[in-house]
Amino acid sequence: MSNTDENKLPHGEPEIDELTNDRYLGGHEYDGIRELDNKLPAWWLYLFYITIIFALVYLVGYHLAEWWPLQDDEYNNELAAAAVVEKKAPVEAFDFESMAPMVAEADLAAGKETYDKICVTCHGKAGEGLVGPNFTDMYWIHGDSTNNKISIKEMYNVVINGVIEKGMISYKDQLSPVQIQQVLSFIITLQGTNPPNAKAPQGRKYDTFG
Amino acid sequence: MELQKFYYDNKIVKMFAYATLFWGIVGMLVGVLVAIQLVYPSFNFNFAFTTFGRVRPVHTNAIIFAFVGNGIFTGYYYSIQRLLKTSMASKWMTYTHFWGWQSIIVLAAVTLLAGYTTGKEYAELEWPIDILIAIIWVIFGWNMMWTMLKRRVKHIYVAIWFYIATFVTVAVLHIGNSIEIPWSFLKSYPVYAGVQDALVQWWYGHNAVAFFLTTPYLGLMYYFMPKAANRPVYSYKLSIVHFWALIFLYIWAGPHHLLYQSVPNWAQSLGTVFSIMLIAPSWGGMINGLLTLRGAWDKVREDPVLKFFVVAVTAYGMSTFEGPMLSLKNINAISHFTNWTVGHVHIGALGWNGFLTFGMVYWLFPRMFSTKLYSVKLANLHFWMGTLAMLFYSIPLYWAGWTEASMFKQFNDAGELVYPNFLQVVEQIMPMYMMRIFGGTLYFLGAILMVYNIAKTVKAGSFVAMEAAEAPALVKEGSMKEGEGFHRFLERKPIRFMILAIIAILIGGLVEVVPTYLIKSNIPTISSVKPYTPLELQGRDIYIKEGCYNCHSQMIRPFRSETERYGEYSKAGEYVYDHPFQWGSKRTGPDLWREGVKTSRNYKPDAWHYNHFMDPQKMNATSIMPKYSWLADYEIDINSTPAKIRVMQTLGVPYPEGYDKIANDDLKAQAEKIAAGLKEQGINVESNKQVIALIAYIQRLGTDITNSTETADNK
Repeated sequence: MSNTDENKLPHGEPEIDELTNDRYLGGHEYDGIRELDNKLPAWWLYLFYITIIFALVYLVGYHLAEWWPLQDDEYNNELAAAAVVEKKAPVEAFDFESMAPMVAEADLAAGKETYDKICVTCHGKAGEGLVGPNFTDMYWIHGDSTNNKISIKEMYNVVINGVIEKGMISYKDQLSPVQIQQVLSFIITLQGTNPPNAKAPQGRKYDTFG
Repeated sequence: MELQKFYYDNKIVKMFAYATLFWGIVGMLVGVLVAIQLVYPSFNFNFAFTTFGRVRPVHTNAIIFAFVGNGIFTGYYYSIQRLLKTSMASKWMTYTHFWGWQSIIVLAAVTLLAGYTTGKEYAELEWPIDILIAIIWVIFGWNMMWTMLKRRVKHIYVAIWFYIATFVTVAVLHIGNSIEIPWSFLKSYPVYAGVQDALVQWWYGHNAVAFFLTTPYLGLMYYFMPKAANRPVYSYKLSIVHFWALIFLYIWAGPHHLLYQSVPNWAQSLGTVFSIMLIAPSWGGMINGLLTLRGAWDKVREDPVLKFFVVAVTAYGMSTFEGPMLSLKNINAISHFTNWTVGHVHIGALGWNGFLTFGMVYWLFPRMFSTKLYSVKLANLHFWMGTLAMLFYSIPLYWAGWTEASMFKQFNDAGELVYPNFLQVVEQIMPMYMMRIFGGTLYFLGAILMVYNIAKTVKAGSFVAMEAAEAPALVKEGSMKEGEGFHRFLERKPIRFMILAIIAILIGGLVEVVPTYLIKSNIPTISSVKPYTPLELQGRDIYIKEGCYNCHSQMIRPFRSETERYGEYSKAGEYVYDHPFQWGSKRTGPDLWREGVKTSRNYKPDAWHYNHFMDPQKMNATSIMPKYSWLADYEIDINSTPAKIRVMQTLGVPYPEGYDKIANDDLKAQAEKIAAGLKEQGINVESNKQVIALIAYIQRLGTDITNSTETADNK
């Protein structure tokens, strides 16, 4: 070890470090490591004091004076603020009885967007069916078999009510009626696309929508 | 005075140093693997032992306890002998410490990969290893205190104060957090549940960072920085103030890992304010390190050792400022559960721990082998590779964290989430995950360069196993002398010093954890919350075994963006039977707490879960979840059910008397029902397979409060 023979401090005498002009502490020498007699840096000390004051104000403000809301109240405030904004949003015109598949590009694009976010998880990227049924064939589980009818209205009811025993949840709180109409219109366009890995038909065959 | 002759044992230093290098390389390589797995799920190899949920704990444990742990002991054994002018008090304790620690590491790696885990982050090791750790740790500490009593130096130096604080606090944390009741040779349940388990775990987890990654490394810094620069320590007074402030304040800050979660508000606030108060004490260490270099900055330009030290201490200063900022509620609301936290901890791990270790290794080897470093040029190259690697690692993750938070929280005018599908966010941050692989690989290659450089140095040098030294015996001095400050007095009374340190570190933990037992209002009871069925309990143990908590949280915070996405926010009373809690700390995948609630946005049928476990990419092409196809092959270990039920009963879970004997009947009935349901969907899987239990558990998650009419109050 080369460091053991380093310059030893004459114990007890104040000695000045040449490079910094700081005073050495007498008797503080450990395996050649010496210590300087510098005070705590003032800015450091003030920083410490400020954080202590911050802590006191924080505890008083949240727990004694109750100047600021704790997390449950904060959450309620957030919901209330959102409710105000949502009320301002215009209510879209929607009439169930006269609902028909949409054909406008913009509606179908919006429908595809919803499909890619939500439906894809169970019905596959191209509507080929995974856990949920295939959308590309003419077989439907929830058609109106008494009247031999499958239309966007029957599909709409499935989305609104869900088929929870099969794992299809209700989307009535997640999607607006128009959004549902859009996504169903998109799904209807998948008819006859024959995607790869299509799931076997389920339900009964209907010849036409309407 | 007569000089006594003695020897410094360099062999133990060399052994720990080799172990540091070896485990460092292993830990970093595993780190690169888990980084790759997050981009390319095929690198999970569809094999239980190599799946992310099991490998990620191997990475964290290897870096913390194997790489940094051996790094601590390398520098500790070198410095303490010289600072006390004596050899270690006990040779067998010294070497038992070494071999004990290495065997703990090997046992840890094997058991973690085999799926034996407690499910508590950074404390994953199971009870037999916990006991071994406690024994080895006490041997290490006993030997240290005994060596102090045999010292030839009157006062103990600041580095040793930090070693003492490390020894006592890690012992308290490890034992406190590991109190568990075994139900088999390698498995146990912790005595704490839910909120209490969370508070104890993060009291431990946070202070493992404080007293394993920070205080011992400050000790190393106080020795190696002045040594390498050949300059005096800037301020002794600052050492005293920042040391005591640091160890006293640190222990309180644990709850900042649980902000906006189901722990009492007062505990969260203590976590926040103590984190803020930690800025100055932490920076005290940085200042004392950097200002020690005054008058030696010209050396920093030339000496790679000092370069590594300067960046290490700067990274320490950055992390210890960022940490308190992340403890502020409004920032934590954004950062928590995202990659921001991962970036933050890697500034500490790569910068502070990694670089300080590298600098120390480059300084130690030439001295122990009485030669020059083989190549200063290569060491400089390593320095620049490491520095760049840190930037390539952390900047993408900070970016990813911000991206995640802003996408998760974005609403449109109609009040709907703009990105309701979790995968939309995952797809967005893929490029950042890729850049992280590059950063991590660069850091790893730098470390390889170091190993080469050290190997060449070792080859060129000749090792001095026993280094001769001499010093006069210490004259015993009794009580405090006139004019002697109290602290100066304490510095020659190591046992008293240790007792004061214990007192300082116990206060915070006691104040934060004990009231949750004594004051009932801290965890309001919800009467509809019931114990798990035996099948769900078995499923829960599979969830823990596969390390699902590494990527999925079970904690919905009270934010509109989370309740809209996941459902009703979590209540403290919902977790009272969760031994251990599984709240998680990072959402690589979505939260699962309301996964079983049929009216929730995230509900999926059993068939979906089955198919998803078998092949997540079939369900979602861009998913990064590993396949868990073996869950359909392996059987549920129903022989363990009675023992599990009995341990749960001991822990206060209200299963009826004698339920352990009939629990498997209920288990089978529930399993058959699930299997029959799957069969209807065209899935043939026997009811005794693990996947059935896991599905049962997932479908139970978060459902209990929806069965109740009472409104749970979380105040």
